[in-house]
Amino acid sequence: MSLDLQNTTETLLSVRDLTVVVKNDHGSRTVLDEVSFDLKPRQVLSVIGESGSGKTVLAKALASWLSPPLEIAKGEILFGGRDLIADRSHARHLAGREIAYVGGNPAGALDPTMTVGAQLVEKLRAVRPQISGADARAKAIRLLEAVKIPSAHRRFHEFPFQYSGGMMQRAMIVDALISDPELLIADNITQPLDVTVAAQILKLMRELNENFSTAILFICSSLPVASDAGDEVMVLHSGRVVERQEPEALVARPQHAYTRGMIDELPSLWADGPVGDGQQAHAQDQAALMSVRGVAKHYVTRGKQGHAIVQAVRNVDFDVFPGDNFGIVGESGCGKSSLMRLLTGLERPDAGQVLFEGENVGEASSKRLRALRRRFQLVLQDPYGSLPPQATIGSIVEEPLKIHGIGDRRRRRELGRGVLNEVGLADSLYDHLPTGLSAGQRQRLNVARAMILEPRLLIMDETLSALDQTEQGKLLDLFERLQAKHGFTYIFISHDLTMVRKVCSRIAVMYLGETVEVAPNDRLFFDPGHPYSRALLSAAPTLEARRYAPEECLLEGEPPSPIDLPPGCAFASRCPRAFDRCRSENPALTERGDASSAACFLVDGAIARKDTA
Amino acid sequence: MTRANTYSDIPETRKELSIPARIWSEAFRSQEFRFGFAVFILLVLAAVFYPMFSGIEPTKMNISAKLTPPVFVGEEWSWMHPLGTDQLGRDMLSRSLVGLRYSLLIGVSTTVLMVALGALIGLFAGYFGGWVDTVLMRLTDAQLSLPMIILAITILGVSRPTIPSIILVLGLAGWPVYARVMRSSVMSERKKEYIRGAMVLGATDWRIMFTLILPLVLPPMALVAVLDIARMMIFESVLGFLGLGVQPPTPTFGNIIADGRKYLLNAWWIATMPGVFLVVTLTSINLMGAAFERARNKIYGGV
Amino acid sequence: MFLARFLARRLLQGVLIIFLVSALIFSLLRVVPGDPVRLMAGGMAPEALIEQIAEDMGLRDPIYQQFARYVGGIAKGDLGQSFVRPANGAAVGGASFDDSTRGERAKVWDLIAQTAPKTLMLAVLAMVFALVIATPIGVWAGLNPGRLPDKFALYLSSFFVGLPNFWLGIVLALLLSVKLKLLPAIGYNGFSYTILPALVLAVEIAPFIIRTLSVSVAGVMSQNFIDIASVRGLTRNQIIFRHALKNSSVPLLNLLGVQFSMLLGGVLVIEFIFDYPGLGLLTINAVMQRDFPLIQGIAIVTAAAFVLINIAVDLCATAIDPRLDY
Repeated sequence: MSLDLQNTTETLLSVRDLTVVVKNDHGSRTVLDEVSFDLKPRQVLSVIGESGSGKTVLAKALASWLSPPLEIAKGEILFGGRDLIADRSHARHLAGREIAYVGGNPAGALDPTMTVGAQLVEKLRAVRPQISGADARAKAIRLLEAVKIPSAHRRFHEFPFQYSGGMMQRAMIVDALISDPELLIADNITQPLDVTVAAQILKLMRELNENFSTAILFICSSLPVASDAGDEVMVLHSGRVVERQEPEALVARPQHAYTRGMIDELPSLWADGPVGDGQQAHAQDQAALMSVRGVAKHYVTRGKQGHAIVQAVRNVDFDVFPGDNFGIVGESGCGKSSLMRLLTGLERPDAGQVLFEGENVGEASSKRLRALRRRFQLVLQDPYGSLPPQATIGSIVEEPLKIHGIGDRRRRRELGRGVLNEVGLADSLYDHLPTGLSAGQRQRLNVARAMILEPRLLIMDETLSALDQTEQGKLLDLFERLQAKHGFTYIFISHDLTMVRKVCSRIAVMYLGETVEVAPNDRLFFDPGHPYSRALLSAAPTLEARRYAPEECLLEGEPPSPIDLPPGCAFASRCPRAFDRCRSENPALTERGDASSAACFLVDGAIARKDTA
Repeated sequence: MTRANTYSDIPETRKELSIPARIWSEAFRSQEFRFGFAVFILLVLAAVFYPMFSGIEPTKMNISAKLTPPVFVGEEWSWMHPLGTDQLGRDMLSRSLVGLRYSLLIGVSTTVLMVALGALIGLFAGYFGGWVDTVLMRLTDAQLSLPMIILAITILGVSRPTIPSIILVLGLAGWPVYARVMRSSVMSERKKEYIRGAMVLGATDWRIMFTLILPLVLPPMALVAVLDIARMMIFESVLGFLGLGVQPPTPTFGNIIADGRKYLLNAWWIATMPGVFLVVTLTSINLMGAAFERARNKIYGGV
Repeated sequence: MFLARFLARRLLQGVLIIFLVSALIFSLLRVVPGDPVRLMAGGMAPEALIEQIAEDMGLRDPIYQQFARYVGGIAKGDLGQSFVRPANGAAVGGASFDDSTRGERAKVWDLIAQTAPKTLMLAVLAMVFALVIATPIGVWAGLNPGRLPDKFALYLSSFFVGLPNFWLGIVLALLLSVKLKLLPAIGYNGFSYTILPALVLAVEIAPFIIRTLSVSVAGVMSQNFIDIASVRGLTRNQIIFRHALKNSSVPLLNLLGVQFSMLLGGVLVIEFIFDYPGLGLLTINAVMQRDFPLIQGIAIVTAAAFVLINIAVDLCATAIDPRLDY
């Protein structure tokens, strides 16, 4: 079908002067402003823009999915020569049939009460009633296999909640492609996924484009991802198309100032070369401020199959020295959050020790713990959820003082104003609610609240991940200033490699609850000791020449479930270098010199052993 | 909540309304709430002032005016007794209004009692979890499995019912639903980051429960409990009807209707008129309660 | 496997609940004033005789001993014997003092077994009526939140909730039975006697169904998978009937589980008004006569029914939504 079309016309989709407005009581605001572009059959066009640039509105307009207050003011969307705006019923007819849509929220995209397979079949038969049930089923399973869902026959009968985020996104891609559409609109599909999973999905999209003769409009907010995915990249800014070029040309010779700014703002992993770090050398001479020794924690969940034990944290080992910027990186489900709860004494470990200034946090009495908490503090991830609702900014910063019974009313207010000024929040906000604060300002408030007790150690749990690049930069500057003034030690828990690369002196990499590598910054990025670290680096979204190619570092497949851990190394199933021993025995952290260690049999001596075996 | 994407250093902040005020103002926007509210206020004013100003005692008998029909019905009606009189010539309007007083008194205090009890039990169960939760929830299940009315008529049937004992019995029988609601909202609140934040700051459980969680989760639940005021008023009238409520000669909807039932065939208004009164009152309360419920769902996005 | 574990756990919990209920009701009845023996033996009975009977029946033993004996009986399926009812018929009075030998008293279990089917029939019919009235209204309202159907549902359910069941019963009996002579109202003499009470009961239940359905349908309709279904190419009918209704039926099921006791409360009053010989009327008479074993027995049986219904509800809910985990 698509082949015929290819012969008759050179453009599949042609958008002309598309203008979309938001209508409300106060009038209307333009969201898309005379957007025009063409898309050829089988072409992959990336559309990039920051949030608010109108890219999702564009996706919805093309999928005929705009709902009030959004409204098309003028323009044409010509699909195969027919205008979808003028001919609504034709547009509805195409939806799901020739124009497929995959969104950025795979978790909520299917009915939770029906199996994935049944819904794929239902969709196919809704748009192609002539296909029999058995054929539809066979096709669904074939496509599930094509998107590399393991044991597709079994997965066909599973429910959406039994799929991981990455698998669900693959299933949604199947859902879109099952009707052999001519156009696939992929709206932010990698955004909610972990970098290694996102890299797998991107790879898959490229393969599918080759095999399925579907044109793809790939919408995303990350320039590296957009360049990776598309034949061409179109930049959208405040509702206008500012330029469109092939990825290499775009990066090398951006035409528009906005694009240039965006490229300049991208942080780099390797471009600046090894930065060296004098700070960490002297830090090592002192006693560790916080030491984590073989910590483990499991949770018991009650599922349909009875009780299950989730190994959230195991074999975690590292030291944090005074003045360190210690980073803990890993993808979702690696145990970062559980580890954070152990470090802060919110939970007690099953085994091992968390020592703060030589004192075991995991065994401290609750009274002692409260006293210790004056000296280590936590800044949380979600700028919106981490502040108590209905409390004024002033009472939020004063709360820690009240809890610990420090100072009288006047003294507390004085201290409160002091820290607010230090983090760059105006005095005048003192009696206001934080409702109107931006995400960055909220995180400043969180920092202020944590530092009012004058702690020695601040644990930052994904503190910056909700912020955009500019805000992140400002807060990092603030952290540096505060460190210089108060001598704080930081632990940054993050999934963001570029952030960690920029600020951390030493870094621990976690995978499925374990620290698989601990190394100084440069060493980790230039000479990673664990294959997982390398895979993580290879998947990092960057425009730089990659030091590690994803194809060589990561196999297809999902991380194993923490409920059902394999006996050997947890990474073995996705590791291109895995050998027999990896599948039966779990490697421990091994010194590899220069204050680095990695939990892999391939570290130094281990390689020799493999060769002789 | 809008996430302002502004980089200016002085953000646009405003004094946010408290939770009950927000729910109230959201509810007040709906026409059904205003309608219910107006009717309700009117009825309350009448209940408070009419028996006083009309000078007609609800218990005063007037045999010569007995079984007067309501206005516009039959031949002998009079404006003296807009809703007619009963078999002893007592004025139905003022009896109904006095009945309304007791009904409201019992409905409101019962609801307050059961919300308070349920909230406390739910708070402890939801916050501490573990065995505290298990024990409290099994207790809740047991209480829930014993129909409230069986419990109430059993206790009141074998002892002498008085206003305090009625309030106590109904209040003690009605808490489990609130305990469950409270428990689940406390559990979801407890998972939020700001609670973790407060814990890391060193706040005690007590402080977190009563200064952070309770003020947040109680108001939405308490406002929707308005619906239960109506339910409890019905309950009170049921008890009265069965002879287990406030005892005559104090007029209550229940005992008036039970009385009137004997004269159903020749004086139907005795049993039905107070009922109409009750229905109007309850409908107005329910309209308000339902509007509160919707306002809460809108603000909290929950179901 | 899952089913067996689930049933085992829930039945065990149920036993615990029933035990708690029996402890509660048992101690309650012993604490409140009023001597059942006095009532049973009649006002004229001499004090010594009353003491004699009480002694014989074990009513002067410590409460815990009485309770242990009672629980032992329950475990064997014996709910005891009525204080006042003879085995041979449904004689209501207990005032005369001539039939004091225990052997002639009715077994509580038999009394309940005789009346329960009628109540069950009433409840089921009422539920059918209620669903027929409420489902279309609730779904219609949920599909049009904030608009006319929604407002209609709100007003209607507010009005229905505000109708006291006993009053509505009287009014309907007056209208339909006395004035229009459409339906029989008082007593029980065939199926038609069930219709009017069931109708009144349905009006009492319907508003809860309307409210729950309108909220849950509206909630489901605003979810992402419904929103995206049209883009996936599904038709509106498919979306509503295959997905939206299925998803919004879980809250409805839960409502039925939790509101079971409300339903039972309604049954009680309505049976009393219509003189319908079911469990509810039995309960009221038992209370009036201070027939402690009967009250206890009814409480335990209803608690057991509550437990079983909730197990069934949860099973259905897990069948509909496999994410649920009880």
